[in-house]
Amino acid sequence: MSVGTLRRTRGGVGSSARRVDGVPKVKGAFQYGSDLWAEEMLWGQTVRSPHAHARIRGVDIAKALSYPGVRAVLLAADVPGRKTFGLEFADQPVLAQDRVRYVGEPVAILAAVDPEVARRAAERVVVDYEVLPAVTDMEEALRPGAPQVHEYGNVLHHVRIVHGDPDAPADVWVEGYYETAMQDQAILGPEAGMAVPADDGGVDLYVATQWLHVDRQQVAPCLGLPPEKVRLHLAGVGGAFGAREDVSMHIHACMLALRTGRPVRIVYSREESFFGHVHRHPSRVWMRHGATRDGRLVNVYARVLLDGGAYASSGAAVITNAATFATGPYEVPNALVEATRVFTHNPPCGAMRGFGAPQVCFAHEAQMDRLAQALGMDPARVRLQNAMKTGSVTITGQVVRGSAPVRQVIERCLALPMPEEPAAGPRDPQALPGGAGNVSRGEGVRRGVGIAVGYKNIAYSGGFDDSAEARVRVFRTADGPAVEVHSAAAEVGEGLHTVLVQVARTELGIEHVTLHPPDTAIGSAGSTSASRQTMMSGGAVQLACRAVAEELFRRVRARAASAGRTLRGELTLADGRVLAAGEPVGEVDNYLDEPIEARRTYHHRPTQPLDERGQGDVHVTLAFAAQRAVVEVDEELGLARVVQLASAHDVGRAINPQGVEGQIEGGAAMGLGLALMEEVQLDGGRIRNASFTDYLIPTFLDMPPVVSAVVEEPEPGVPYGAKGVGEMATLVATPAIVAALRAATGRPLNRAPVRPDDLIGLAPPVASGPPPPAPAVPGPRPVPHYHGLDAGQQELMRPESD
Amino acid sequence: MIPAAFDYAAPATLDEALRLLRRHRHAKVMAGGQSLLSLMKLRVASPSFIIDLRRIGRLAYVKEDKGAIAVGAMTTHAALAAAALVRRRLPALAQAAEAIGDLQVRNVGTIGGSLAHADPAADYPAVLLACDGVVVVRGPRGTRKVPAGQWFTGLFATALRSGEIVVEVQFPILPAGTRSAYVKMKHPASGFAVVGAAAVVRLGRDGRVADVRLAFTGAASHAFRARAAEEALRGQEPTEAAVRAAMARAPEGVDLLEDLVADAAYRAQLVRVYGARAVLAALG
Ligand SMILES: Cc1cc2nc3c(=O)[nH]c(=O)nc-3n(C[C@H](O)[C@H](O)[C@H](O)COP(=O)(O)OP(=O)(O)OC[C@H]3O[C@@H](n4cnc5c(N)ncnc54)[C@H](O)[C@@H]3O)c2cc1C
Repeated sequence: MSVGTLRRTRGGVGSSARRVDGVPKVKGAFQYGSDLWAEEMLWGQTVRSPHAHARIRGVDIAKALSYPGVRAVLLAADVPGRKTFGLEFADQPVLAQDRVRYVGEPVAILAAVDPEVARRAAERVVVDYEVLPAVTDMEEALRPGAPQVHEYGNVLHHVRIVHGDPDAPADVWVEGYYETAMQDQAILGPEAGMAVPADDGGVDLYVATQWLHVDRQQVAPCLGLPPEKVRLHLAGVGGAFGAREDVSMHIHACMLALRTGRPVRIVYSREESFFGHVHRHPSRVWMRHGATRDGRLVNVYARVLLDGGAYASSGAAVITNAATFATGPYEVPNALVEATRVFTHNPPCGAMRGFGAPQVCFAHEAQMDRLAQALGMDPARVRLQNAMKTGSVTITGQVVRGSAPVRQVIERCLALPMPEEPAAGPRDPQALPGGAGNVSRGEGVRRGVGIAVGYKNIAYSGGFDDSAEARVRVFRTADGPAVEVHSAAAEVGEGLHTVLVQVARTELGIEHVTLHPPDTAIGSAGSTSASRQTMMSGGAVQLACRAVAEELFRRVRARAASAGRTLRGELTLADGRVLAAGEPVGEVDNYLDEPIEARRTYHHRPTQPLDERGQGDVHVTLAFAAQRAVVEVDEELGLARVVQLASAHDVGRAINPQGVEGQIEGGAAMGLGLALMEEVQLDGGRIRNASFTDYLIPTFLDMPPVVSAVVEEPEPGVPYGAKGVGEMATLVATPAIVAALRAATGRPLNRAPVRPDDLIGLAPPVASGPPPPAPAVPGPRPVPHYHGLDAGQQELMRPESD
Repeated sequence: MIPAAFDYAAPATLDEALRLLRRHRHAKVMAGGQSLLSLMKLRVASPSFIIDLRRIGRLAYVKEDKGAIAVGAMTTHAALAAAALVRRRLPALAQAAEAIGDLQVRNVGTIGGSLAHADPAADYPAVLLACDGVVVVRGPRGTRKVPAGQWFTGLFATALRSGEIVVEVQFPILPAGTRSAYVKMKHPASGFAVVGAAAVVRLGRDGRVADVRLAFTGAASHAFRARAAEEALRGQEPTEAAVRAAMARAPEGVDLLEDLVADAAYRAQLVRVYGARAVLAALG
């Protein structure tokens, strides 16, 4: 398609087209998963473990089953097929069998005629537990003699990256220890779905999710049904951020629906939602950076621990990401990275926006500041001097072939205007740290500025082909030609569906584009995660549109030929018309006696898994971002306020500039949350703050103005040169804000979120001993090899005796 | 969530309310319902009978009476915050009322309900203590006046006896030249006081602190007077440094609350800082 076409079709690629779901969402007419409703519907309820680790001696359901209004109470023995599920490894019981491994693990499910009956009946399920010792500290879990979470041990996966000569000497060394807390995705729409039994013995599941097909791959085997009898439909998704990558209520609702023969709806409460999805892995990171006296990185050592809680989820992929990004977007000739994803009896952790990159970004950026300080250099200069570029080699030996404008994002970020200094005299308390609760007049308030740079992969890595399919149909309507796009890709609030519509408009020159509801009637689109859908499903729609256009052009040429004419030049589409060499030939409508339809699959370039030395061409595409944060700290109260966030993002190409801006602002808010307030607080594996009163997320009043610059350096070989933008803002915001807090207070803050106690010196920096020894790689056998996301079909193996 | 089933009556007179209260063993009176209803929804409280006080006339007023500001128990936070008499003569009380929750809560919640409920993080208790207020209750055996210092007995516990209803709260009018202020750190989500401080200060003719009363809420199981800090400040020049130095003693002897927003060490710091800011605000 020519550039002319791009400009001519309204709402196409490159324009801030109005969101297709915008008006209904603003008016409250959009149907979210929690709005699902059917006649004769039953309400499902889950009975969960109150213990972090216990043996189940028995479950008595008699009282619950006889409670008036209850239609079914089901236990592990009632799971019709496979008893376990999981994204990478099928290790998580649908319902606990003889053992529970975290507080909140589902033990029983029931269905009743109304939610109050369901709640009361759930209280009448009596579970006889023998409480066992639990391990809830990730370092303790690695010590010999620690309680074993699984029979194959407490390590899910260990990644070792050996690059260059890890013993290479350096002039200057800096060393640090860092921690980040468990963060909740805080999806505003809790887990929700409804299962409807079908006449063919199968089931239709309407569910708010990120990837319909990977859900089905896990749900169908557990139900003992062939995949075609388990049909999934996307329900309105109220936020995802990784929280909906794993199966939550899916199998439970289907089991209850199949048992009772009635539609069953399950919607989690806010409290239950905290137990019902995986969280961001808490991290402990030890790092040592060596550089030459003039500031060139020579050698980096990183030891990374991620606490994955009780089950695997996507933990093997998360730790692989954390390991491969551990040294940041810099040229590092020599490195040793040891990264372990540990099992504990904490709630399970898995995917969350950034997927392993934020934890290490927090550490490597603090290290870069330390290095700058040790060298007496400007923090930005150290980063610029070591910045990756196209042609650089990563620590996994991957040559960066795509665009890598690291220098540009740093420079563009720093060139953004600084906020104004506060005027002298008493200040508006709303603008002070703590907002209205700050009753100082602004005295004792210190400003600080910090920067951070980070990068992350787009799409799945390590040899996994997460392809995306789409079907496009062009047909005639009374109002002219129209396009229908069918894709299973989940819109999770980020604006993907608008992007797909924009692609179709641009490719076909037709403004009227509608979306078929996403479901499993079409092939997989892959997950709406890893910042990948614009590239992947956008690519699939582009391919399908081009196939449709080809057929249209064939018809145009055939008709011209039968009229004895030959069309000269390239055929293109714009404004509902066909053009030859830029001159109109006719209306598209005239060629649509038969609708045209095409189905295509987009694959990204192949990648490789890491080898035993952690080397390989592992990531498809990389995206980079730089962030500057300005903060103010009330030195008496230990309260902080972020005054401004300025960032520059490498997006390849902005398909929808307003959407890009939205992702940058939302992502920055999430990063601010981890920097200053968000922490799932655990006590012996129990979540102490499972509510939005006690788990605080940034509100309007906490968010500063966000100013951003978009660096558009198209990525070769991907549709429109567009990378993704969903995650980068989150990973750089946290370290930039904490760096600014360090600058304001002069304190060596090394844990996120930073608490008031840390800012006024009531609590010392978190201390650590030496890093724990790394498990041997590859194997021993209890360390399962990561085979890529073959969707939960692998078993974790018992150690073999050899 | 849904509360358990209950019976309901909205009597027109206080006597009728007292009669109902005596007759029904598991009855609770309801004023604004801003604390009671959420406890019922969470099923922390499941009274079988609700006696709604809102039909009873003449329980909502702010007036000057025998050297005190007399506030009817059913006076809403919003009405109190807006009352000219209070704003002029007892700014601390108006500031506390204004700092409660949000507008909806202030339009419905009452001072009687707040003092009867005795939430450790409620705002009025600090003002009541710092002003040496009096709670007037009516019960089967007539009317009693309970001085502020005896009202709060523990976490959500007061000197109110079963069968009694709070009818009025009295705040002695401060002598000319005595000034007051209330400041608080709001819990970011609930709006309750993480720590709130009320100060009543009078400077002598020599310009030194002649008298000071300082009370805190949110910091312990119930509101308390910080007598050691008061003592330390009395007779001092009212400089910022002197105020801050005296506040080092404010948390003395108090068993400070620990919760998810603030551990004991941080609460102690908040007591020191907000104590100082309250005194400085009162001094203007
Ligand atoms: C979102 C929210 C935020 C809030 N934020 C704050 C805040 O920042 N600061 C603050 O101080 N409070 C706050 N509150 C609480 C609020 O101030 C309540 O209004 C107050 O605590 C109770 O007053 P009420 O009139 O609503 O009493 P109710 O809820 O009706 O009653 C509370 C208790 O007192 C008893 N009671 C009520 N009236 C009487 C009476 N006259 N005699 C004897 N017993 C009586 C009831 O039986 C019940 O046990 C908040 C409440 C909400 C919902």
